[in-house]
Amino acid sequence: MEKSTLTEAASAAPVAKTRGHMPAGLNVAVLGPFVALLLACIFFATQSDRFLTGGNLSLILQQVAVVGVIAIGQTLVILTAGIDLSCGMVMALASMVMTKLATEQGLPPLLAVLCGIAVAALFGLANGLLVTRIRLPSFIVTLGTMNIAFAATQLYSNAQTINDLPPTLTALGNTFTLGGTAVAWGTIVMLGLYALAWYLLRETAAGRHVYAVGNNPEATRLVGIPTQRVLLVVYVVAAILYGVAALLSVARTGVGDPNAGQTENLDAITAVVLGGTSLFGGRGVVIGSLVGALVVGVFRNGLTLIGVSSIYQVLVTGVLVILAVAVDQLSRRGAR
Amino acid sequence: MSALPSQAASSSPVVVMQARGLIKRYGHVTALDGADFELRSGEILAVIGDNGAGKSSLIKALSGATVPDEGDIWLDGVPTKFKTPIEARRAGIETVYQDLAVAPAMTIAENLFLGREVRRPGWRGSVLRQLDKKRMLEESVARLNELKVGIRSMTQPLETLSGGQRQCVAVARAAAFAKHVVIMDEPTAALGVKEGGMVLELIRRVRDRGLAVVLISHNMPHVFEVADRIHVARLGKRGCVLNPKKVTMADTVAVMTGAVRPEDLPADALAH
Repeated sequence: MEKSTLTEAASAAPVAKTRGHMPAGLNVAVLGPFVALLLACIFFATQSDRFLTGGNLSLILQQVAVVGVIAIGQTLVILTAGIDLSCGMVMALASMVMTKLATEQGLPPLLAVLCGIAVAALFGLANGLLVTRIRLPSFIVTLGTMNIAFAATQLYSNAQTINDLPPTLTALGNTFTLGGTAVAWGTIVMLGLYALAWYLLRETAAGRHVYAVGNNPEATRLVGIPTQRVLLVVYVVAAILYGVAALLSVARTGVGDPNAGQTENLDAITAVVLGGTSLFGGRGVVIGSLVGALVVGVFRNGLTLIGVSSIYQVLVTGVLVILAVAVDQLSRRGAR
Repeated sequence: MSALPSQAASSSPVVVMQARGLIKRYGHVTALDGADFELRSGEILAVIGDNGAGKSSLIKALSGATVPDEGDIWLDGVPTKFKTPIEARRAGIETVYQDLAVAPAMTIAENLFLGREVRRPGWRGSVLRQLDKKRMLEESVARLNELKVGIRSMTQPLETLSGGQRQCVAVARAAAFAKHVVIMDEPTAALGVKEGGMVLELIRRVRDRGLAVVLISHNMPHVFEVADRIHVARLGKRGCVLNPKKVTMADTVAVMTGAVRPEDLPADALAH
């Protein structure tokens, strides 16, 4: 009789059964952005003949590449229940470092790129150390480093744009032809990084630990996972991704722009939130951030095609962000 | 290796874990004032005590969450000094904490294997670091079946379970990986009557599989339901060890609060 107590109790709890069919992580917050993207595409396809052409779709992908790569790093940070406000500014600083070193200092382009990414990584290290060692909230830390990176960019560049870049720095802006459509190499880099991040987060212990830290840092520490190291690595890897995004930005615009990164800063957070990753940490899928970035990109592109002021795109993005966070909040309340 | 106290000479049961003269001070407060502790294999030892009696400081010292200022701890007769919970875990001591979930949004299988993930054999595991999800899933099912925890799907997020089921997963996780000792800190505190009973039943099953269980609880009926011996912490020391079969709940509470001295209890109330 005693033996059956547990099984009885378990079968008496209907929650376990009814919710059991859904694989972990697949819920409205994850599927929502796909539906939003699909609806937006259908809408613009009916409004403009040019929308669904290969050239236009390739252009959208190229346009979202910079925000898309930053959003990967931002996703990692947000999954740990943190936020990185410095992403865009760190990217801008990295792009100035690589362009300036490659032109004015005459460094080999590849070395210049590595130096730019290294500077970004140092900012990530600073963010990570302040968050883990001094236990400051990530919001405050990255608000500070955002301003520091911005000031450093302006001082270092004298607010001057860097022109006449060596071709290596802009190589990722070049295109190749795929089925009659020109595809930028930068797009391929972005998609490759998403695939890599998706694999690491889903299939490796290190990736699962990122989720665990975002879920319940104290319990995760007691389980024996070095949570501080996980956090530190996340901030550094995120910053390295901002450095890669800097290269994509330089390749796309063909210049080192000291005022880059200003829209990307919040656009990346928008993309992550739109993609269904919870700001409370521990929930979300990195591919969602790509979808989130594409939603913003599609609206920007589509509204331009049908001749609507770009202000409406900003308006729509604002509404979508609030909607996405509301859905996250409500689904969490439903799941207790 | 330093000499063991000869205290266990008369009694035959195997002592799994032992502590002598543990002292822990926090500033002017002495939380542990020469506390002793003895845990035998295959028993449930309840640890009770008033607030400030040194109960949680004792448990923290045993589980590696704090390092005592003085005193010795032996595990299987070997002197040990844990500096972190991770070291204690490596030595085969698992702790279940009161807060129910480990990672609520992650699946049950993932929670069971968190921090001890199994990678795929061959190059996919060593080069690509790929997890062997299938094997972890199968082992999760096997482990929970062994302990007769009736949860249908290991791939549902932990948060879809009831509080009692979540605590069962936490206990099962500890039991599955503990080599020597499972320490449970108020495992039934947040649960209702039926769910609490479910967890107690599971704790008994863990004991029956040969593990030594330390149960910290405020709930006297629960303590009397499952404990083999009761360690009463008092004023930073071990007040006494009681035999729940021979002592009343009222006397136990009286000793715990200091209303009655252990010496004034009937002689057979003390456990040996």
